[in-house]
Amino acid sequence: MKEALLEVDSLVTEFDTDEGRVRAVDGVSFSVRPGETLGIVGESGCGKSVTALSIMRLLPQPAGQIAGGSLLFEGRDLARLTIPEMESIRGNQIGMVFQEPMTALNPVHTIGRQLTEVLLLHKPLSTAEAMAEAITILNQVGIPSPEVRMGEYPHQLSGGMRQRVVIAMALACKPSLLIADEPTTALDVTIQAQILELIRQLQHELAMAVMLITHDLGVIAETCDRVVVMYAGKVVEAGTVKQLFDEPKHPYTKGLLASIPTLDTPPKSRLSVIEGMVPGLMDLPTGCRFANRCPHVKSYCEEDSPTTERIDEEHRVACYRWEEI
Amino acid sequence: MSATPLLRVRDLSMHFPVREGVLLRASRFNRAVDNVSFDIQPGETLGLVGESGCGKSTLGRCITRLYRPTSGSIEFEGNEISKLGQRDLLPYRRDIQMIFQDPMESLNSRHTVGDILEEPLIIHNIGDRAARKKRVLELLDIVGLPSRSMSRYPFEFSGGQRQRIGIARSIALNPKLVICDEPVSALDVSIQSQILNLLVSLQREFNLSYLFIAHDLAVVKHVSDRIAIMYLGKIVESGDGHDIYRHPKHPYTTSLISSIPIPDPHRRVDHQIIRGDVPSPINPPAGCSFHPRCPRVMDQCRHKPPSLREVSETHDVSCHLEFES
Repeated sequence: MKEALLEVDSLVTEFDTDEGRVRAVDGVSFSVRPGETLGIVGESGCGKSVTALSIMRLLPQPAGQIAGGSLLFEGRDLARLTIPEMESIRGNQIGMVFQEPMTALNPVHTIGRQLTEVLLLHKPLSTAEAMAEAITILNQVGIPSPEVRMGEYPHQLSGGMRQRVVIAMALACKPSLLIADEPTTALDVTIQAQILELIRQLQHELAMAVMLITHDLGVIAETCDRVVVMYAGKVVEAGTVKQLFDEPKHPYTKGLLASIPTLDTPPKSRLSVIEGMVPGLMDLPTGCRFANRCPHVKSYCEEDSPTTERIDEEHRVACYRWEEI
Repeated sequence: MSATPLLRVRDLSMHFPVREGVLLRASRFNRAVDNVSFDIQPGETLGLVGESGCGKSTLGRCITRLYRPTSGSIEFEGNEISKLGQRDLLPYRRDIQMIFQDPMESLNSRHTVGDILEEPLIIHNIGDRAARKKRVLELLDIVGLPSRSMSRYPFEFSGGQRQRIGIARSIALNPKLVICDEPVSALDVSIQSQILNLLVSLQREFNLSYLFIAHDLAVVKHVSDRIAIMYLGKIVESGDGHDIYRHPKHPYTTSLISSIPIPDPHRRVDHQIIRGDVPSPINPPAGCSFHPRCPRVMDQCRHKPPSLREVSETHDVSCHLEFES
C-alpha cells in the first residue's frame, strides 16, 4: 500500500452554540493516498463539510474547534500548525473548491486580481509573471479568451465558468491535494459533466489527490477510487468504490443505495426507503446513531456505539451485525 | 384521439419585457416560454425536464395562472383559462394546485400547520369550523404526519416533513392537476425516496394528474408516464419515458442523458459532453436555438428553426436531422 498523503485520525470537531457544545465530527478516521480520488458521501449534517473545513483549518471562529485527533499531511499535523504555517500550506499544497462559486469569489475584484493574489502569495513571482501564469491556468481550465476574462468580474461569468475560475484558483500553485466540497451540486447536469471531466483531467496532469465530498452516489461511482460513508458525525463504512456498491455491509449504505431511482427502475414502482430521519446533533443517542432508522436493530445496538471493524485491507464497517445481515 | 385531455396547452408563450434605458422602455423580451404545446390526460404524469433557465418553472406558473401568458391557449377540461381574471379563475384554482421546491419558503413561518392547511378551505368556503378541522386531520394522516403537528410551526419540522405539509396543502381541495416544481431537489437522498413514494401513491388514490418539473432525469423518469425536454423556452423532444431514455433522438436529449452520472462503478462510460453554456433567452441564437452547442449541427440549423414533428405515434422531436422511427 502506498504511503498516505493525508492521514485523518480520530478527528473530533466541536461547535459552541447557544444550546451548548455540539460534536459535528466524532472520531473520524480515513486516509487520502497520493494521486487517488477519495469520495466522502453522506447527507446534510453528517459532518462531511466540517471534516473538510477542519483539514483546511477554516472552521468558523471562534465557535468551531478541533477538539481531538490528528490530521497528518506530508508528515505534519495540520491540527497543531500555527496560523502562518497553515497559511503557507492552504492554497499552496492543499487547494479547495467550494460548492457555490458565486460566494467563493469576491464580487468586487476582477478574476485576474483574485487569481494572481494566490500566486503572488505563495510564489516568488513579479506581477507580470503572475499575470502570465494566471492566463495559462485559465486556459488550462478551459476558459475561452482568458486575456479578456482576466479583467472581468465574477457576475459577468456563467455558473459553470465561475466554477472553472474557482478550480483555477485552487490549482494555481499545483497542490498535491484538492478538496472539492460538492463542486457540482449548484450546476446543471451538462455543466456538471464538464466540470467533473475537467477535475479528472487536471488530476491526471498534476498527479494530485482529490478528496471529493458529495451527496450524489452517481458522482461517487463515476469518479472515486475509494469511498467513506458518513452518518451523523461518524464514519459508518469505508472501502473501495466497488466494494461499497457491490457488497455494502452497513445497513445505512445498503438503504442509501437501494433508495435512489435509476434509469432502470420500473416507473412508479415503490422505492425502498430509509424510514425516519437523522438524529439531531443536540440529542444524539448513546448507541449506534443509525439505530432509530435501522431495519436490523437489536437492543444492544441502542446501548453502546459500535466500533469500526476491518473486513479486509480496505473495507471497514461500524456495525454490530454486519456479518449476519 | 381519446376524450378531451384534462389540460391542453397550445402555442403558449410567456415573454417578459426587459426594461432598459432612461425611459425604461421594453425594447427586448426574455422569451422564457416560446410556443409550447402539450396535453395532460387525467391521472397522467407529464415530466418536464430542462436545465436552469430553460423556462420550465415559468411554464408551470403560467398553467397555475400565477402569470398571465403573453399568447397561446391553456384549456382546462375544455375551458380556456389563459385570459381569465382573478375572480373567474377562482373555481380553477381549486382544481389546479402547486407544490414548490423549497418547503421552507413556501410555508408561512408565522402560521401553525393547522392554519396553513385550513386556509385553502376557508378561501373556498368549504365546511364549517369543525368540518375543516376534521379535513386538516385527515390530510395530515394522508401525508403521514402525526395529528399533533396541527398546532406546531413549520420551523419545527425537517425538510422532508415540511414537504409533506406542502403536499397536504396542495391536495386539500381535491385538485385534479398538481404542478410539482422540483419537489424533491432540496431533499436528501434517503428522504427523497419517501416523498416520491408518497406522490406516486397519492396519484393512484386520488387519480391526480401531475406536471412534474425537475432537472434530475432519473427522478423524472421514475414518476412520469410521458416526458418533455425543454431547451431555451421550447420543447425539443417529447414522448413516453422509455422512448426518451432508450431511444433519444434530439442531440440535446442524447447528451443530457449521457451526462447523468450512473451510480454503478462498473458502468463508467464516456459521456458525450456538450460544450459551452446555455445562451440567453433574451437574445436566442437564430435558427435552432441549440445549434451553437450541437455536435451534429448542419447548415440549415443556423437559420431555419425546426418545428416539433412526429417520429412515432408517441414520440415527437424538433430537429432537422432525419430519424428512423
